[in-house]
Amino acid sequence: MTKAQLLRNLGGTLWPSFLTAAVASVVFFASIDPESLHMQTLPDWQISRMAGYTIGFFMFWGVGLASSLITLVLVSGGPRESQ
Amino acid sequence: MSKPEAATDAGMYVSREKIHPREVKGPFQTLRNLAVVVLLGIFYGLPWLQWDGRQAVLFDLPVRQFHIFGLTFWPQDFLYLALLLIIAALTLFFFTALAGRLWCGYACPQTVWTEAFIWMERWTEGNRQQRLKLDKSPWTRQKLLRRGSKHALWVAFALYTGFTFVGYFTPITQLAGNVLTLNLGFWEAFWLLFYGFATWGNAGFLREQVCIYMCPYARFQSAMFDRNSLIISYDTQRGEPRGGRSRNVDHRERGLGDCIDCNLCVQACPTGIDIRQGLQYECIACAACIDACNGVMDKMNYPRGLIRYSTENAMEGKPARVLRPRVLIYGTLLLALIAGVLFSLTQRMPLAVEVLADRNVVYREVDWNTIENVYTVRILNKDRVAHSYVLTVEGLPGITVHTHSERIRVGAGDTDTAVVRVQVPRDAVSGPGNPFRLIMQSEDNPDIRTVNTARFNGPRG
Repeated sequence: MTKAQLLRNLGGTLWPSFLTAAVASVVFFASIDPESLHMQTLPDWQISRMAGYTIGFFMFWGVGLASSLITLVLVSGGPRESQ
Repeated sequence: MSKPEAATDAGMYVSREKIHPREVKGPFQTLRNLAVVVLLGIFYGLPWLQWDGRQAVLFDLPVRQFHIFGLTFWPQDFLYLALLLIIAALTLFFFTALAGRLWCGYACPQTVWTEAFIWMERWTEGNRQQRLKLDKSPWTRQKLLRRGSKHALWVAFALYTGFTFVGYFTPITQLAGNVLTLNLGFWEAFWLLFYGFATWGNAGFLREQVCIYMCPYARFQSAMFDRNSLIISYDTQRGEPRGGRSRNVDHRERGLGDCIDCNLCVQACPTGIDIRQGLQYECIACAACIDACNGVMDKMNYPRGLIRYSTENAMEGKPARVLRPRVLIYGTLLLALIAGVLFSLTQRMPLAVEVLADRNVVYREVDWNTIENVYTVRILNKDRVAHSYVLTVEGLPGITVHTHSERIRVGAGDTDTAVVRVQVPRDAVSGPGNPFRLIMQSEDNPDIRTVNTARFNGPRG
């Protein structure tokens, strides 16, 4: 992979997952308070709301990125289509 | 390095050369600059605006309240956020159908910040010619100085952008104090740097690549287009065959079109395309080529508009229609939604009540004749003044309610929880899940009233 291709692939995976993560975080945290999530799951963990939002956002981003990367691999690799 | 690359990946992955758009003057560029100033002015200015002794626009995430000009939104008002997003999307559809990529050329943050970064580039490194020369020149003191001051400006501006962004979530005056005393919280510092870095990278370096390779809207906007949508187009019939000529010759006689092939439209293009090759999805409709071309047409004494805002139909000489089903449908939906949101905002109930049944005890026998259920009631006073609320119940024969105190007083924008005991005669209920209503009413204003339905569990009988 050339450097230009690498950059383009990075852009094509990082960016859409970023956008969807932003929307997903807004929707998710509008209805779920990280504080109550924290109390119900890991109450011993000392963590603020801000940290909860941030971790949630990066989790969504990570999941989206994983999906985008797999799509990229599936679309670009594989057997060549005959022309 | 770049040669073999271009050879192997012809077209799609041509190695990129930095685009230095030529500065052009004209009505559309004035409009664009105005849009940049106004939009950035709003972005940087809004957090400093005070309203009733509070930051006018503050998305207070730590306490989960959004303040927007005297209105306070809670997570329970999620519907408004959803509606707002739908309105934003519809607005985009509407304007795209009507006027093409207006958003891309004038209002998209990517365009706006790129423009601001190009201004800074211009101030420090000079105009297009000077910048191209500087790119090629060896690292002299002069180049170091110009490059250095550009990057210093960029970084400072990006950091201030990150600071402003965080200022929408943390009261900005307090944030400014924290920055000045180097007392920033970890997450505030993190988001300041993150947003600053994103601005710097996107507007300083990636620029048109974001539009071409990364933007989903650029790819699907054509779905909202039709043959009557405004596009920027080059009048091929009038312009071709293109070619250089002296101003004094009659070019028609020589068999030439109006295009003098000066390439200014290409040099002015921030995405580096040639509009004369027809409509391309890289075109962000910034109209820089229109202004550039009109300037040349004026100099040549040719009529303006060789490159102009037009529609596919108009280019083919067919009548152009503004009001079409697509536009009317988007427009009607948009108006209805906006009106609906505004109306519901005026009708908003400044009180929200949640009722949670006690999960540990299904029911309790107070005495032989009375069954009791316990509920936790959470009261959210969304109003800007304190209220005292009175709770009543109805819906089951002989039902009574007992609270700790008769009135529950909740401060402005505050929440309170009350433990509520509801009692019903034994013969009035049988088995679990008998519905009844809890009515919460403000003492001073009977219009502030909510009704919740809850379930009363009795013994199976």
